[in-house]
Amino acid sequence: MKPPPFRYAAPTSVEEVLDLLAANADAEPRVLAGGQSLVPLMNFRLAQPGFLVDLRLVEALTTLRTERDVLVIGAMVRQSAVERSPEVALAAPLLVEALGYVAHPPIRNSGTVGGSLAHADPSAELPAVALALDAELLTAGPSGTRTIPAAEFFRGPFTTALEPGEILTEVRIPRREGVGGYAFVEFARTHGNFALVGVAAVIEMEKDIVTGASITLSGVASTPVRAAAAERALAGTSADAATIEVAVDAAADELSPAGDLHGSTATRTDIARSCLRGGIQLALSRAQDRR
Amino acid sequence: MTTASRPAPPPIRTHKDGRNWVGKSIRRLEDPKFLRGRGGYIGDMTLPGMLHVAVLSSPYAHARITGINTDAALAAPGVHAVITGAQAAELTDPLPDFGPNPAAHTWRCLAVEKVRYVGEGVAVVVADSRYLAEDALALIDVEYEPLPPVVDPERALDEGAPLVHEDLGSNCAYERTFQFGEVDRDFADADVVITDRLRWRRSGGQPLETVGAIADFEVATGQLTVHTNSLSFTSYLFMVAGTLKIPANKLDIRPMPAGGSFGSKLFATKPAVIAAMCSRAVGRPVVYLEDRIDNISNCDHHGSDRVYDVQLALMRDGTMRSIKIDTVDDYGAYIQFGVGHHGNALAQVVGPYRIASVEYRVRAALTNKNQQGAYRGFGSEVNNWMLEQMVDKAARELGLDPVEIRRHNFIRDFPYFIPTGNVYDSGDYDGVLDKALKLAEYDHWRAEQVKAREEGRYIGIGLITAQERSVFSATEFWFWFDTPGAPVTSMPESVTLKVDATGGITATLYSCAFWGNSPETMVAQLVAEEFDCDPHDVSIVYQGSKNGLPATGPGGSRTTVMLAGAVEGATAKIKAKARRATGYMLEANPDDLEWVDGGYQVKGSPEARKTLAEIAVMLHLFKHSFPEDMESGLEESKVFDHPYTTMPSADRKDLGVFYPFMGHACHVPVIEVDIETGQVSFLSYAAVHDCGTLVNPRSLAGHIVGGTAQGIGTALYEEFVYDEEGQLLTSSYLDYLIPTAIEVPELKIGHHETPSPWTPHGIKGGGEGGRMMAPAAINVAVNDALAPLGVRLTELPMTPDRILAAIRAARESR
Ligand SMILES: Cc1cc2nc3c(=O)[nH]c(=O)nc-3n(C[C@H](O)[C@H](O)[C@H](O)COP(=O)(O)OP(=O)(O)OC[C@H]3O[C@@H](n4cnc5c(N)ncnc54)[C@H](O)[C@@H]3O)c2cc1C
Repeated sequence: MKPPPFRYAAPTSVEEVLDLLAANADAEPRVLAGGQSLVPLMNFRLAQPGFLVDLRLVEALTTLRTERDVLVIGAMVRQSAVERSPEVALAAPLLVEALGYVAHPPIRNSGTVGGSLAHADPSAELPAVALALDAELLTAGPSGTRTIPAAEFFRGPFTTALEPGEILTEVRIPRREGVGGYAFVEFARTHGNFALVGVAAVIEMEKDIVTGASITLSGVASTPVRAAAAERALAGTSADAATIEVAVDAAADELSPAGDLHGSTATRTDIARSCLRGGIQLALSRAQDRR
Repeated sequence: MTTASRPAPPPIRTHKDGRNWVGKSIRRLEDPKFLRGRGGYIGDMTLPGMLHVAVLSSPYAHARITGINTDAALAAPGVHAVITGAQAAELTDPLPDFGPNPAAHTWRCLAVEKVRYVGEGVAVVVADSRYLAEDALALIDVEYEPLPPVVDPERALDEGAPLVHEDLGSNCAYERTFQFGEVDRDFADADVVITDRLRWRRSGGQPLETVGAIADFEVATGQLTVHTNSLSFTSYLFMVAGTLKIPANKLDIRPMPAGGSFGSKLFATKPAVIAAMCSRAVGRPVVYLEDRIDNISNCDHHGSDRVYDVQLALMRDGTMRSIKIDTVDDYGAYIQFGVGHHGNALAQVVGPYRIASVEYRVRAALTNKNQQGAYRGFGSEVNNWMLEQMVDKAARELGLDPVEIRRHNFIRDFPYFIPTGNVYDSGDYDGVLDKALKLAEYDHWRAEQVKAREEGRYIGIGLITAQERSVFSATEFWFWFDTPGAPVTSMPESVTLKVDATGGITATLYSCAFWGNSPETMVAQLVAEEFDCDPHDVSIVYQGSKNGLPATGPGGSRTTVMLAGAVEGATAKIKAKARRATGYMLEANPDDLEWVDGGYQVKGSPEARKTLAEIAVMLHLFKHSFPEDMESGLEESKVFDHPYTTMPSADRKDLGVFYPFMGHACHVPVIEVDIETGQVSFLSYAAVHDCGTLVNPRSLAGHIVGGTAQGIGTALYEEFVYDEEGQLLTSSYLDYLIPTAIEVPELKIGHHETPSPWTPHGIKGGGEGGRMMAPAAINVAVNDALAPLGVRLTELPMTPDRILAAIRAARESR
């Protein structure tokens, strides 16, 4: 369980990072963020990058600020810093709640927001949250910068819209202060382990009527997916218990998660049902409390 | 039963009351060094010039090795040697093996000609660092010719199944049907027979530090020193020397603390043999420390993996008459300890119940998996689970109360010989049960269960009562065949006590590397009890095997009882000498002296007195004050032999006494099942254990908590999953799930003390703790919760997948 040899550099600017990636393109370079996914993969020799560009000294990637209507999180902001940030608690409490399910505190002290999104594990919490919150992902690469909506960023298991030599620089999340209710609910076999299924839900209400619902799932497909059928079923209703059941069934009917040793397709679908119901109920009750 | 020929039991002891130290929850002597990170594990030790070994493991479950090219690896930077399986077979003989037919299922440190499971070692590299060693592994080119794998234990026994060992001519390494008592008569007399098919899947002990060894071969003298966190096993050391083809008196094994074992380091010889082989090849110290993948896939210590077909014969009032057990056990590719796991089961096969007769059929299947070794319970915990599922099912089918059916059948007269011939020394099963019902608030939870059911919630209460046999004797290894392999085996354990010139006491232990248990605390408390000193003032050292006295080491919950015997014996010798010396010092008759509060004094005139320090300084420095035959110093050793073990009868209808000190426990978990997700969560958990006289209630409670946590793992989470191709799907903790502190509930622990009549202070072993009971109790609890749905889980671990599949199946069959 030791990685094969690799070269290493820790530059201080995004430009240098991009130059190093370009100059070492033959060595299948990778950027190193918190290392909590990449280093295990290297120890298992499942990833064998010949060159590692460590982002830890790149200050530009460590911003955490609120602009007028967006929360901006630099790719290298540690997950625990986000979890503890009062600004994030106000602007995107869903993200804080979801981070509580990501591994354990020591791992979150190293792990970064950008690393989790770029890693694009289909079971991970943050990609589902990014999708639910309509986040935008900013990238920098040889041909300049891009802004990619979360809905277009995740392409498959451990696969994103990032091109070779391109890095994620920041995440921009629309602020939702004081509107609606949110919830992150998941089912993991043991605490801190990757979940079988996770659900992120944001529900907005006006006068007891659901005016908007954004519900996404992790763990049920090769990327996080939107539970569009559930969103439709809830919109415009008062979301009573029967409606919630309709929404849950509608969403579950569209799922066919791949089975593995921790759960068959049927088991994961059953669990998704439970998480969907739990997520919708919790988000609704918080939306109602808000008023 | 052939009772007539039974040898007499040992004499009944009287235990002193008013103990000062035995029974106190003192702080452990071991803790300060481990808590400060000064434990000195293998990973902490570096010898000058030490090289590192990595093992190339097989990616195939079953394949012929048709070629190995090591040229590129040998040429890689920092590489000192590459040794293939074929070369290793010249450098070493097969590993020590207690299996039924080692010549036909030969086990070596590296595979030769054919690999038999994913993870089996094929070659090793010795290099300057573990990094370079692993880089070179990637350069070894092995040609494999894949063979069809054998994965399912029952299919393995089918005619025409591919053979794991061609020389054996079958995948059945052992088969025998034992009959104890009048099974046919008892079945004929019974009103009902409850049958079931049960499946216990494999899991294993998960030490934080894996198995490792540092070997240092001294070319000039031919001396080999091996530091290893395996059991040093002084008494069986000559077998390792045999494997290495060196004289036993050239080998010294030095015990290192183990970062956990739970059985999984029991007589683990392979890493030591690999390190020693490599050290000899390169002439430098060499370390081989398994990494997690090595350990999970190639540790030789997977736990039991059984299929059971069971019939329990009862009367309608719940009286148990007889049991027929038919089990196939998946041993994996080798069978190093034979079917000793079933000997452990037979030691307590009828549990705490009066069951008059037993039929026990065991078949050991060989498959393409890592082999079984030891895991806390050594197969007896599986029997506990099986028996309790049967009792539970019987109660349900007969409409009897689960508490009362157990109580109705309890053994109450001791010593009690069970049908297999083993003896239960003492017990108070009613007392334990009463305590447990109270501690668990049993009636309260039954009421809660009724309420919860009305709300559509599924709460289950899992009461079980079960045995914890202790102080194993290897005599059980010899009864499997008609001709015994050996006579009665004593499994000794030794302690040396030295009183220095100031009266300070040092105890030397001989095979007891620290395993996460508390040998130092135990010995210190026992010494303090004898000498009226503070246990924290007792100094403990470990001796290597070469200068060691006979010692077997931990296993089968034997350490504390055996160490107690050795401390008692060494103390008696020291006190005899001290008494005689005091006689001279006080010019008194030694017979008129009595030991009081740390010294000898004349009976009736306490002012005529010498403390241990006063006696010791005289004996150390002023020998000529004493008669000619008294030697200087005050140091004595005791080799303590197993106090009670006997041979099997010739017809094997009585296996003799091999596990006589019988602990008992009652566990009562209360759980809730979420029937939509299959999640099981704990609402409460109470456990009452009776391990005879308690030495340290707190450290015993540690065994109960740790063992229960592992039992929760076995019941709900942990499984080494091999797919149909024999690929190990759970090769890291990403997929091999261990319960965390959050999954393990806070335990309510109760102790009950029924002293053994045959051990020092009446102590029984308790090292296997909660794992003996928790899997059985949690399974009963889940079935209790799901009974209204007509669901009964018969397979461990009860994962969400299995629970939901059972619920779906029950729905469909309605
Ligand atoms: C025991 C354990 C449990 C875990 N449990 C969970 C869990 O429950 N849920 C969960 O979501 N995660 C879990 N993780 C993973 C953890 O959250 C990681 O921190 C995260 O997935 C990756 O973040 P990182 O900063 O460590 O990235 P790294 O490991 O450093 O990088 C991950 C990948 O992303 C790439 N990358 C990183 N940053 C960038 C960037 N700015 N631009 C382009 N590519 C980039 C790297 O090249 C690499 O391929 C767990 C990890 C461990 C060790």
